[in-house]
Amino acid sequence: MPIYRYILRRLALLIPLLIGVTLLAFIISNAVPADPVTANLGQKAMSDPKIVAAFRAEWGLDRPPAEQYLVYLQNLLSGDLGRSIKSRRAVAEDLASYLPATIELATTAILFGVTVGVALGLLSALRRNTWIDHTARVISLFGVSTPVFWLALVALYIFYARLGWVAGPGRLDAGMTPPPHVTGLYTVDSLLAGDWRTFSNAASHLILPALVLASYTTGLITRVTRSSMLEVLGMDFIRTARAKGLADNKIVVRHALRNALIPLITVIGFSYGNLLAGTVLTEAIFAWPGIGQYAYRASTSLDFPAIMGVSLLIALIFILINLIVDVLYFVVDPRLRAT
Amino acid sequence: MSAISTPASLSRKTLRSEPGALSNVIRFLRRNPLVVLGLAIFIAWVIISIGAPWVAPYDPLKQNIALRLQPPSAEHWFGTDQLGRDVFSRVLWGGRLSLPAGILVILIAGVIGTVIGALAGFIGGWLDEGAMRVTEVFMAFPTIILAMAIAAALGPSLINAVAAMVVVWWPNYARVVRSLVIGVKTQEYVEAARAIGVPQQRVLWRTVLPNCLAPAVVLATIDLGNAILVFAGLSFLGLGADPTTPEWGRMVSDGIQYFDQWWIAAFAGLAIFTVVMAFNFIGDGIRDALDPRLRKNI
Repeated sequence: MPIYRYILRRLALLIPLLIGVTLLAFIISNAVPADPVTANLGQKAMSDPKIVAAFRAEWGLDRPPAEQYLVYLQNLLSGDLGRSIKSRRAVAEDLASYLPATIELATTAILFGVTVGVALGLLSALRRNTWIDHTARVISLFGVSTPVFWLALVALYIFYARLGWVAGPGRLDAGMTPPPHVTGLYTVDSLLAGDWRTFSNAASHLILPALVLASYTTGLITRVTRSSMLEVLGMDFIRTARAKGLADNKIVVRHALRNALIPLITVIGFSYGNLLAGTVLTEAIFAWPGIGQYAYRASTSLDFPAIMGVSLLIALIFILINLIVDVLYFVVDPRLRAT
Repeated sequence: MSAISTPASLSRKTLRSEPGALSNVIRFLRRNPLVVLGLAIFIAWVIISIGAPWVAPYDPLKQNIALRLQPPSAEHWFGTDQLGRDVFSRVLWGGRLSLPAGILVILIAGVIGTVIGALAGFIGGWLDEGAMRVTEVFMAFPTIILAMAIAAALGPSLINAVAAMVVVWWPNYARVVRSLVIGVKTQEYVEAARAIGVPQQRVLWRTVLPNCLAPAVVLATIDLGNAILVFAGLSFLGLGADPTTPEWGRMVSDGIQYFDQWWIAAFAGLAIFTVVMAFNFIGDGIRDALDPRLRKNI
C-alpha cells in the first residue's frame, strides 16, 4: 500500500476515535455527583435561585445532557470548542495561549532524554556488565522510580534556593516582558528578536523544569536502548559483519543501531506524547503556565468546556504522534515498505 | 507484543505448583540479586505498615504547635511539620495508605480488565470490536489527565482517587488478556475440551483463562510501582486523601509551602521512591528472565 493511502486511512480512523474522546470527556464532566454550579458560583450567588438559573441557562446546563452533547458536537464541526466557564474566553483561544509553554518544556525534555538516554543505553549495552553498565542501569532505575513532583521540589531547593544556579518558578523573572510573539516559545522568540538578556533569563527558567520532567523519559530511553541493542548485537548478521572484519563502530552504528531503531522510535514517540500531556505535576510546582496547569484548573473547577477542549487537544496530539511513529517505521525499515 | 507471548514458558516453570517449582524460584532469585533486594524492601515496607501503630514513636495525627517545623533531631528523627506532627511517624503510617491503594487499583482494574478482555477475545465479533474501540478511547487519554479529571469530578477523597485510577487502568489489562485469550483459544487442548462437550462458559473460565493468567499477573507486578506513583501524584494535587491523613504524596505537597523546612517533603518522597524502586527491581528481574534473548548474547 502506498504510504499516503496508509496515512489517509489512519486519518479517517481518527474521526470516530476523537468523537469517542469527546463522549468520554462529556460523560466524565456530566455523569458525576459534582455540580459545576457549586464549583463556580460563590456562596452568596448560590443562595439566589435567579442567579443559579441564569448560570445554568448561560452554559446550557438546563438542557438535557444528550442535547448538550449534540450542540457541542455541532459547534465542534465548525471548529468552535466553546467558551471556558472559568476564564470566560474561547477554549480554543485559551489552549493556544497555554500550549506553547508546554511545547517548549516537553520538547526541551525530550531532546535531553533522547540525547542522554541513547548515549547511556548504547554505552551500557556495549560495555555490558562493566561498571559503566551498572552505573547507567542505576541512573535509569532512579529516573523511572523517582516521583517527579518530589524531584522537582528537591531540585528547586538545591539549584535555586541553595545554590542559586538557575532562576526559580515561572517562565521569566517578574518584571521582564515576554519577547514578541512568533512561536510562543520564549527561548526561540527571544533568539529571533536577538534579545540575549531575555533569552538567557528564559533559558535559566526553563532548564530545571525540563530536566526534572526528563528524568523518567531519560531512564526509560536508556533502558529501551540498552535492551534493544543487546538483542540486536546477539543476532547472526552482527556476527557475520564481525567475521567480515568490519570496524566496530561501523557495526554499531550502521548495523546494530539501525536495527534497534524500531523499539526506540516507538518509545520516543510515546514518551514525547506523555511529556506533552504529563506536565501537570511539573507545571504545578514550577508555576509553568502550560496545558497541564490549564487542565488541572479546568478539572478542579468542573469547567467542562475547558476539560473537553483539553482532552480533545491532548488526544489529538497523542494520536498524531502515534501516526508519525507508524510512518517512521516505513522509513526506517525497508521490509515494511515491501508488504 | 513479543513480551506477552513469552511469559507462558516461565510461568509454567516458576508460578505453578509443580514439583520442583520451589527450587526453580530459588534458582531464579539466586541469579537475580536485585529481585531479592526489591522483595526485601517491599516486605520491609509491608511489615512497617502493619506495625506502624506499635513502631511509630508518636501519634501521626497529634499536633503540637509549640514544636512545629523542628528540624530532624534525636526526639524527632525526621523533624516535625507545620502543625508540629512527627514526620517520622507520618512516613511510617503513610505506607498503610499508599501500598494498599496501589495494590487495590491493580487488583480491581486487573479483574475488570481480565473479564472484559477474556470475553472480547473469546467471543470475538462485534463484542470484541466494540470493546477494543472503547479501550482505544480510554488509552487516547494520558493517564494522569484522565485520572485527574475523574478524581476532580467525583470529589477529592481516597476512595475516589482509587476509583478514578481503576477507570484509567483497566483497558491495559483488557487488551493484554484479550490478545492472550486469542492466542490460547485455538490451541489443541481447547479444541479437545470443546470436542468432549464442555460448555462454552466452562471452556473459557476453566480451560482458556487459567492459561492466560500468569503473564497478566507478571504485568501487574511490573505495573504496581507505576500505580503507586500515579496515586501519590493525585494525592499531591490534593485529589486523594484529605489534608490531615498521613499519605506520602500529600506530605510532599505540604512541603511546598514550607520550602526551607526541606524535611517535611524529603522523607515522604524518599519513601515513595524506595517502594517504586523495589517494584522496578522485581519487575526488571522478571522481565529479564522472561526474555531469553537478552541472556545469551555478547
